[in-house]
Amino acid sequence: MKPLEERLNDRLEQAGWGSGRTGQHPAGFTLPVREREHDWEVDELVALARRLQQAYQLQVAPDFARRLERRMVRRYAELQLQRGSRRRSFCSLLRARPALSAVLGLCLLFCLVSTSVLALAAQVSDPTSPLYGLKRWEQQVQLQLSGSPADQATLDLQFARDRLKTLPSLADTAHARAYRRALADLDQQVHAAAAAITELPGGAQQTHLAGELARLQRDAIHVLRGLLARLALPEQLGTTNELARLGDTVPLVRQAALTLPAHPHARATISFTGLDLQPGAHLLVDGNVSEETGTLQHGQMVFVLDGNGNQHPHSLGMLNPDGTATETTAITIKGAGTSGTPGGNQNDNGNKPTVTPTPHGNKPPVTPTPHGNQPSATPTPHH
Amino acid sequence: MEGIERLLDCARQGNAEALRALYHRFLPGIFGYMATRVPDRATAEDLTSDVFLQMVEGIHHLRAEDEAGFTAWLLRIARVTVAGYYRKREKQPAHLSLPGPAWEPTHAESLLLLESHAEADPVQWTQAREDWQAVVKAINHLTEEQRQVLVGRLILGYDVATVAHMLGKKANAVKALQFRALQSLQRQLGKPRSPMPALQKQQKEEGE
Repeated sequence: MKPLEERLNDRLEQAGWGSGRTGQHPAGFTLPVREREHDWEVDELVALARRLQQAYQLQVAPDFARRLERRMVRRYAELQLQRGSRRRSFCSLLRARPALSAVLGLCLLFCLVSTSVLALAAQVSDPTSPLYGLKRWEQQVQLQLSGSPADQATLDLQFARDRLKTLPSLADTAHARAYRRALADLDQQVHAAAAAITELPGGAQQTHLAGELARLQRDAIHVLRGLLARLALPEQLGTTNELARLGDTVPLVRQAALTLPAHPHARATISFTGLDLQPGAHLLVDGNVSEETGTLQHGQMVFVLDGNGNQHPHSLGMLNPDGTATETTAITIKGAGTSGTPGGNQNDNGNKPTVTPTPHGNKPPVTPTPHGNQPSATPTPHH
Repeated sequence: MEGIERLLDCARQGNAEALRALYHRFLPGIFGYMATRVPDRATAEDLTSDVFLQMVEGIHHLRAEDEAGFTAWLLRIARVTVAGYYRKREKQPAHLSLPGPAWEPTHAESLLLLESHAEADPVQWTQAREDWQAVVKAINHLTEEQRQVLVGRLILGYDVATVAHMLGKKANAVKALQFRALQSLQRQLGKPRSPMPALQKQQKEEGE
């Protein structure tokens, strides 16, 4: 047997209710006596519903209906008029005062242009674009408006990620300047985020943000390492420095020692001391890559060079097999018993570089190798 | 009858005829709702007027596209209007009043009543008025959903599916609300003394 509510509803439906006949009394309301006897509880509810529906108190008085209709239509017409006049009054005001409409037009145009420029600037990723400055400004404003140090740290992390995303598109020789600037921005943003997180009070939020920073650093290392092979030497040097700052293990040269040969036809040696030096690295002399590869001897990287040059190196370094590059200007030049001070170099004992000159003079020469402009350090016979 | 959706569109665009049609379609429902919520006809008429005037003010901003949505919107206005009426009445200082006309029929109603109950006399009217006040009290004890189901089903004549759509409920839930509403009314009004003796009599006559 169906539940009571179903039976009640069936009876109401049979009585014609819910068929959209509003205001009509249900037809065929009375059921066969036999069925009614068995469902007296439902019968009583149906009867109550019917009495309610037919109650004269629920019937609308025709007088009232007419009065309300007139009142409602009048109000509707008033509202229509008001709407129309509001529209008209604004238009007529603009027509009457052309200066006002011009100012309004200009304001509208200004708002439109500013919004478009700001929206465009937000999409810019090339640091050399004129809009990039605007983007930085927008981000600074966002940082200043951020409510709490935690929000600021979150924004710093977000901006750092934004910088990181732009780097791959700039990793070619055509965008060298933009790449260097984006790399510098990344560095700045990562350090800003780290500083903001350090200032946060300890707790779950700080732990969470510190975790986010660590993840960003790992991602940055991964991305930068992937870019090394596509970069020119200056950008490789910059990227290697950034990798070191991000906590990656990269070869680091502390000092270079150039040992000049005793006679012109002998060979010079350059040895590097530092950390995590990699065998198979190429020598860098004043920013140029030599074909010489070094060997690790007693923790030092040693390069043996031809001895026929006359240039003095201002910087020496290594280009490693993994694409990282490192260089130093702390060069000690050793010769047969004399010493000199080439500009910008340092010796072991202080800021002033020491050059150990050859028997024929006190200026250590470095000359390009026969393969091009890659220099090799050689003693000069006369200087 | 023209589709409610089309009437709504036209009324929004400023068509007074469409507005009239909507008014005639929904007046019985809204007045019925009011009549079951307040103790006298004059108040029910005032509150009904308020609802339709608010409808006129708000129809341009209305988002409802179908009949169920529009009905739900109107009933929401009605509910808020009734709540405002009772709130205002609570704040008013208590005052003694002579026995008011309450549901004493107007001239038109008297004609209506006399037409269907020729034998009805003032005694019966008084009885009917008191009975109706008991009905209003009982209906005020129902939940808002139960009241809306009764209005939708009994006065507006909607089927269960439309009422379910209007209330955002399932058909079975509406059937249960309908059953509980009537059962609760029956319990509160009491079986021995029915709310409308005159109508009960009429029903009996019709049965014969």
